[in-house]
Amino acid sequence: MKKYDCVVIGAGNGGLAAAVKILLSGKTCLVCEKHNIPGGFATSFKRGRFEFEASLHELNGIGKGNLFGGTRRIMDELGVTPLVEWIQIKNAYRLISKKENIDFILPFGIDNIIKACDTLCENGGIEAKKFLDLSKTVYEAVAYIGECNGKPDKEVMQTKYYDYLAVSSYSVNEVFESLNTPEIIKNVLSAYWSYLGVGFDNMSFVHFANMAYSYFLMGATVPKSRSHEMSLAFEKRIHDLGGDIFFNTEVVKILTDENGHVKGVELKNGDIIETKHVIANISPHKVYANMLDEKAIPERAIKLCNFRKFAGRGLTVFLGLNKSPEELGITEHSYFVYNSSDSVEMYKEMSAKGHYAGQATCCLNNVNPGCSEEGTTILYMTSLFFDDVWKDVEEKDYFKYKNEIASHFIDEFEKATHTNIKDHIEEIAIATPVTYARYAGHPEGVIYGYENTYKDNLMARVMMVNEDAFIKGLRFGGAFGERGIGYPSSYTSGYNEARRTLKDMEEDSNV
Amino acid sequence: MFKRDKDPIVDVKKGLMIQDVRRKAIDDAPNSPLPKSYKVNELAHDLHPGHIKATLIKREEIGLNSYLLTFRSLSENERFPYFEAGQFISVSAKVNESIVTRPYSIFSSPMEALKGILSIAVGRDGFFSSYLIDIMELGTKVIIGDPLGDFHYNSLRDKKTIFGIAGGTGVTPFISMIKAIEEGSEDFNLTLLYGVRTKKHLLYDFRKLKNPKIKVIVVFSDERVPGYECGFITKELISKYIPKDSSIFMCGPDKMYSFVSNELSQLGIDKNLVRMEHNSIKSIDMENPHEFELKVHLRDEIYTIKAKENETILTAFERSGLCVPSKCRSGICGLCHTRLISGSYFVDSKNDHVRLADKKFRYIHPCASYPRSDMELDVPPLDILKEL
Repeated sequence: MKKYDCVVIGAGNGGLAAAVKILLSGKTCLVCEKHNIPGGFATSFKRGRFEFEASLHELNGIGKGNLFGGTRRIMDELGVTPLVEWIQIKNAYRLISKKENIDFILPFGIDNIIKACDTLCENGGIEAKKFLDLSKTVYEAVAYIGECNGKPDKEVMQTKYYDYLAVSSYSVNEVFESLNTPEIIKNVLSAYWSYLGVGFDNMSFVHFANMAYSYFLMGATVPKSRSHEMSLAFEKRIHDLGGDIFFNTEVVKILTDENGHVKGVELKNGDIIETKHVIANISPHKVYANMLDEKAIPERAIKLCNFRKFAGRGLTVFLGLNKSPEELGITEHSYFVYNSSDSVEMYKEMSAKGHYAGQATCCLNNVNPGCSEEGTTILYMTSLFFDDVWKDVEEKDYFKYKNEIASHFIDEFEKATHTNIKDHIEEIAIATPVTYARYAGHPEGVIYGYENTYKDNLMARVMMVNEDAFIKGLRFGGAFGERGIGYPSSYTSGYNEARRTLKDMEEDSNV
Repeated sequence: MFKRDKDPIVDVKKGLMIQDVRRKAIDDAPNSPLPKSYKVNELAHDLHPGHIKATLIKREEIGLNSYLLTFRSLSENERFPYFEAGQFISVSAKVNESIVTRPYSIFSSPMEALKGILSIAVGRDGFFSSYLIDIMELGTKVIIGDPLGDFHYNSLRDKKTIFGIAGGTGVTPFISMIKAIEEGSEDFNLTLLYGVRTKKHLLYDFRKLKNPKIKVIVVFSDERVPGYECGFITKELISKYIPKDSSIFMCGPDKMYSFVSNELSQLGIDKNLVRMEHNSIKSIDMENPHEFELKVHLRDEIYTIKAKENETILTAFERSGLCVPSKCRSGICGLCHTRLISGSYFVDSKNDHVRLADKKFRYIHPCASYPRSDMELDVPPLDILKEL
């Protein structure tokens, strides 16, 4: 029987980061991936003469020079940074919001943002600064709590990070309200909410402030050869460090011993791999419902799952256009095209079948001009569903239905940007919750993990991570891990779960 | 400093208690069993079962040297998925010691798939087709890879009218489209220019079609038949029949592609506006081809096999009976994605469709690559082929 110190289930972002971290400590590690390539959603695919980015809009935390965040720190430590060619994005986003009649380009950089906001209303800059100063404290406090492994010094928290504690139990909307932020400033600064996937009445301010501040401060990045480049860079590190990756290899069971501790995994082909440590880069819902002996699952694990709410299910329309961005009039890399800037209203709208509330759309050529042949454009538009609205789609209606939805997305983009897209479609692919369900196997086609709601917020999760680990030897990374969705979050949770697993291994040897 | 209207000290205490709020919420959650599956995931499985075990139930000659093979899936849980007419599947079978996979356009309609039936047209043009036509017995188990490809009508991408150009068995995807239009599962107009040698080679009786959305013009290359066009598919014929405002789809042998592409460019039609189905990459004619040694990793197993320089690396795998994945055999679909550990290879630039990062980190598509030295490769295995 084959034996490894650790088996990672799923070569998505979290799994890849976890495996490299384990291997760097000299332990043996096997990654099992049911697909034939690494990355999970961090991949690319080809249609005709286009290579589409499968999921990444922009990567937060890589930064440049000395200004960088957690993503870069992890990639540096894991030896991935130099293997990838990075491209810096110029502006944060262009927000076009119908209801409030907003069409505004937000730059990167704190000072630039303050200047830009000053043009929006009287004292706009000062009002923006209030929010950004507060966000800075939150950002620094979160980093500090992370450094302390979730056990910060109370004294330090109450003095240095007092403002963090003051806001940490409030929603984004509550804090904006108490700051008296003018509507227009709030609207342009909060467009990023849809990347976090919870309405501002139910999203912890800490979560939003931390993500938004790091994004505004450091800007964002894309890898030159799509996210597939990052995934292959991780894979290379795994091979270089002597680790194994088995592709087309699905783990169907996590095996436990009489004490309920992990003792191995069973593959779809019947092979058993012996290990005491599994890092599952898949949903706890799936693991607890389908992959474990029922006797090994404590009631609280089921309760935890039932307490949580699935976050956004994805939909993306990928377009290869036979005109250049200039010819089409597409000027920016990143667009938020919203019916309204009110996240609460949008969230509600995106929970109803057939309803459309907005899209986050990227034109890759505007950050990576060589990404497609001259005279062509890669455009991809993404939205989320906050309920299981695809569950009643019939097999024979599926292709028509997804085209109908995609058509609406394109119409809305055309109207908002005064462009003509439809006459120039050379290639199209549409990923729906069904596609995502097929690809990653996540319930209902969820791509955002568990919702970072007020009660299940990032900081509470981080501080309770050991409490949520019910089965000795089993930890969860990726989108369903401690930090929720997003590339930086899934890399970070994978990395952190590996650190904790290494600690668990130390405890094994102490026993 | 940030100040709320309320006493900030109260807030600070609350801030220290965010775990308690969460802990309490978990306490209060129900312990009802978690769902074992979800409707969206079931639909995903129905549409993309991956590989379906099936059996040959019928074989009939439908045109001279062309046969219609009909398959039925082996179990209720694994029926053929609904698809978009024009797509292809792969058929895997064991031939002597080889495990062989080949792509075939689907002949049958999307609605027939839901009834468990799937058919393909096979011309006598190679070793595997001879096996399918002459040797494989009814009831033989095969493995069918689920439908794939962009050679189908898309309402957002294409004009409402498709102008099809077909040669020989290349008419197959258009027959599926015609059936789809007739049964109402798809809605577009099709004008088809179908080049075929003689009346005896026709794969389908188009005279029975009464649907105004479908128009078929048969062009015989090897005989004159009154009431039919004759010769090659020339620019004159194309100009005569091409509907206004149509999207061009073409499927046929490579020879036809180069001839018709030339005609189309003379008519000023941009090649990027023509959707061409891809053909399988063939062996290269060569006298005394050199033989190389390939060291192949399949998970933790290692095989050493021979590979001829004029045959693709995939062919070498298949000859050795390795259970490895492949599908399109034209370098495009990426199912055979393989890590090159060492060695050199050749790939024709027109078949080189690996992703950008694949090039950078040295991954290849064995179906489009020929060995140029001894090589070491890491291939993801496809276990289901062991069941053949």
